[in-house]
Amino acid sequence: MAHTAEIDTKDAWGGGKSPFAVSYGKMFMWFFLISDALTFGGLLMSYGFIRHKYADVWPKAENVFTHFPFVEQHLPLAYVGLMTFILIMSSVTMVLAVEAGKRMDRRGVTVWMLWTIVGGLAFVLSQAWEWYHFIGGTEEGWVRSVWDQGANNGAGGYVNKVWHGANMAVNEYGVPQFANYFFFITGFHGTHVFSGVVINFIIFLNVLKGTYEKRGHYEMIEKVGLYWHFVDLVWVFVFTFFYLL
Amino acid sequence: MSEFHDDYPSYETMYNHDDAYGKKARRTLWNVFWIMLAITIFELIIGFMAPSHGWSGTWWLKTLFIGLTIAKAAFIVIWFMHLGHEVKFFKYVILVPYITFMLYGIFIILTEGSYAGESGRFTKVDPILVEQQKALRAGHGHGAAHDAGHDTKDSGHDEHKDGGHH
Repeated sequence: MAHTAEIDTKDAWGGGKSPFAVSYGKMFMWFFLISDALTFGGLLMSYGFIRHKYADVWPKAENVFTHFPFVEQHLPLAYVGLMTFILIMSSVTMVLAVEAGKRMDRRGVTVWMLWTIVGGLAFVLSQAWEWYHFIGGTEEGWVRSVWDQGANNGAGGYVNKVWHGANMAVNEYGVPQFANYFFFITGFHGTHVFSGVVINFIIFLNVLKGTYEKRGHYEMIEKVGLYWHFVDLVWVFVFTFFYLL
Repeated sequence: MSEFHDDYPSYETMYNHDDAYGKKARRTLWNVFWIMLAITIFELIIGFMAPSHGWSGTWWLKTLFIGLTIAKAAFIVIWFMHLGHEVKFFKYVILVPYITFMLYGIFIILTEGSYAGESGRFTKVDPILVEQQKALRAGHGHGAAHDAGHDTKDSGHDEHKDGGHH
């Protein structure tokens, strides 16, 4: 690779320079991403454990995520496929912004950053739509035994009734833990996407202002790019473990 | 302080490149994108076909999906996050601790968590949930929703059930 940083191993550890040949900011973005990746890794492991525990009654994704906007048909996985496409696409526009930054091409950085922000917003809104349908549920619903304070002459008790949609305690799709993990993991990921969009927007404004032109390099684009690709990386795993398996 | 760092290299600009290199780099990035898109579409097609072909929950399907996921993750980290371009020490500092922790976590979950699969012993599940999954896995759509309240109404479809083998 012509572009691999060259470092003389004889004096790499002699001080005065970074043996890693990266700037302070980029290195700590990587360290932050490692710690964040450990959090997501822990969440997905815990998800795997609980799913294994309730394997017999764990709902299948193709029976839960069947909606697609403006289409009445039963289309399992199509919508999440679109969401995945949007996020991979915005990852490409981000890496093209980074590439343009390395050529000090301010116009290129501006255009690709804008597309990345558009893609990120499209993803967040798609997720909001999916949550809306998940929480709202189907018209038919499913029978659940839920607590009714009025039962047994006011003593309260569990009664069977048709339940629509999902909350933290009951959902029509399957065991309560299914909705809990769906809310927690996709919510945690969605929060990352949202903050990524905000950060990208701030950096985009700086590009417009010419901050990095004055600084003489566009490394900041690369740093926020690392975060943005990480968000895409996490989604690849969430997509597999929640929707495919 | 500057007397110590007169020859301090500028790491911020050392990865900058010219137009010719940029053209090549862009072509590589788009190729990576097409490969990742192809993998995702392949996964969706397989995922779409799985229920009707009885592939759901088979060991080879799980292995395939997890393998393709790790392949996509590697593409993102190596090409999009440019870890492939960093010096060797830095790659190790990033990857070795993380992979070690994840392997450790997977090891713990597979050994210490093995009791969780013994359903019924430590897990009390509402029978309505069992009915629902049985009905759904036997191919009943939402039309069966209200029947699920009646116990064992769908017992005629037990020959299709695949619950339990996971």
